[in-house]
Amino acid sequence: MAEEKKEISGTGSLTGEALEAEDVLAGAEEWSSTETWLVVGSFIAAIIALVIGMILVPTSILH
Amino acid sequence: MAQYPERKWYTGMLSTEDWWAVWIAVGFFFISLLNIWGIDLVGWMTYPTKWVFSPPEGGKGAIGHAFYALGKKYSVTAKGFYKGLGWWSVIWSYVIFGAALTIGAASMKWNVKKFIGGFTIIYFMTIATWFIGHHAFIAATKVNMHKYGLNFALNLGGGGSFILALIVGLIIGNFFKGFASYLSEAAKPEWYIKTAIVTLGVKLGYLPIKLSAMSQKLGKEAAGLTFDLFVAGAAATVVAYLIFWPGVYVISRKIFKLPRKTAAVLGSGISICGVSAAVATGGAVRAKPVVSIMVSALVVVWAVIELVILPGFFTHVWPGTKDPLVAGASMGMAVKTDGADAAAGELLDEFMRTKIEVETNGAVKWPEGIITASAVMTKVWIDMFIGIWAFVLALIWVYKFERREGERVPASEVWHRFPKFVIGYFFCWFFLLAIYFGPGQSGAPEAMPFLKTVKAGAVPVEKGMRKLFFMLTFMSLGIITDFKKLREAQFGKMVWVYFVALFGFIIPVAILIGYLFHHGMTLPNIAQYVK
Repeated sequence: MAEEKKEISGTGSLTGEALEAEDVLAGAEEWSSTETWLVVGSFIAAIIALVIGMILVPTSILH
Repeated sequence: MAQYPERKWYTGMLSTEDWWAVWIAVGFFFISLLNIWGIDLVGWMTYPTKWVFSPPEGGKGAIGHAFYALGKKYSVTAKGFYKGLGWWSVIWSYVIFGAALTIGAASMKWNVKKFIGGFTIIYFMTIATWFIGHHAFIAATKVNMHKYGLNFALNLGGGGSFILALIVGLIIGNFFKGFASYLSEAAKPEWYIKTAIVTLGVKLGYLPIKLSAMSQKLGKEAAGLTFDLFVAGAAATVVAYLIFWPGVYVISRKIFKLPRKTAAVLGSGISICGVSAAVATGGAVRAKPVVSIMVSALVVVWAVIELVILPGFFTHVWPGTKDPLVAGASMGMAVKTDGADAAAGELLDEFMRTKIEVETNGAVKWPEGIITASAVMTKVWIDMFIGIWAFVLALIWVYKFERREGERVPASEVWHRFPKFVIGYFFCWFFLLAIYFGPGQSGAPEAMPFLKTVKAGAVPVEKGMRKLFFMLTFMSLGIITDFKKLREAQFGKMVWVYFVALFGFIIPVAILIGYLFHHGMTLPNIAQYVK
């Protein structure tokens, strides 16, 4: 890939420097228990936040 | 520790777009407050009004008045002077905003000569599209088109100008690439929109003051509503993000078989505030820079597509004018990048207000900016999440996946990754609220002369400056968006991940959560107080 792109000022704005991409899309590792923990933990935290939020936030549909 | 360089808490204050958005917007905000002491130094800010080539007898819309200085309408002490500026306000705005931005560009060590050249062209192209977009055929509604001698109008309100600016930018970015490259030093949508978002804080703080001029009850209602949005936005955002990120991560890993780091960066880019989050997460998990860059490119392109589709969908398909704040909040959670989100929120605001006015034949009018605020509010909270989540991921990657012996992630990373323009946004908002509840006496009649001086300063910033920077954002976003990137083979897989995750997961979840926390919230009707 010879498309020119670059990153500036830590903002993520795009400008120009040649970069290869293939190796970052290939070579997926095995799914690990840490990933399961991260994903499930995040979903559980979301459910807890949802319940608490809907109870506490006066504009939620529970009110 | 090369990944976490030694940085002071003030590092970047003079060298990042984030901080320069704060300095410029808060700077003009403070200058605007001089109105309290009778000094109006912001009334020159230009603003367009609807026009036609041949205004009807006794009607509105002369081209000569298509741009005016906002001080003409709102200044307390210099109305006569600003009235005389007319179209010259365009030049005044160019010189003063151009000077302020150039100081920022120089401080960030950009190529100043190229910046001035690029900004000059972008500014005047923006003014031209703003002007065309305000032709009454495009901007007028069924309610007011007759004042311009028209029997038909597109009903786009101010939203037509935004779309036009985006189209012009996209044409340049995709068909005149040499020209786009020349403009690139000044085509900075993230900077312009962050500046506009800070001035949106002025808008929020000013809303109760504005509505108090109509009635004290309305002013208090607006203050309460914006606070409700603040709280509901926080809750919705936390819930949404905790669902978005793992969902996209699983889609990337299990369906598209992407490596962990790439999936993590994609998860953040698609879930949170796209570009910044992708860059922050890329740093946190030490992904190769190309991952953040590819995701950033996709974020910008898809955000433009969302920007074109979602405001119209939410306005005309669901939920329509029945639940405008569900639409705004969902937009904030679904559209990535601050720029596209705030711009889409602005577009939604225009569409919704125009639609309700048309549907009720003018009996219901909503104040401008609240729907935009609902979109930005969720986005702002999501932005706050970037630093925290990047920190969490950094810890997991360091201590679980890569187990780098002896490496510590400094807690200051959260501060360094915190989106600083958010500070300016809240500062302006709360500063004006303090004025409203303090010396403004919550809009009591005896405080109205004082609040009128605050209004004289706030309106040019929250209206003229904010809209101009939104327009600059749309133009710049178009200029840097290259659709060719989507066709490149290397992007193919990521394009599909993004497409599946966005339309199959992010948007439906955003709508559901927006509904759970915002359903039934209503906007104040100001029809009886405005012409």
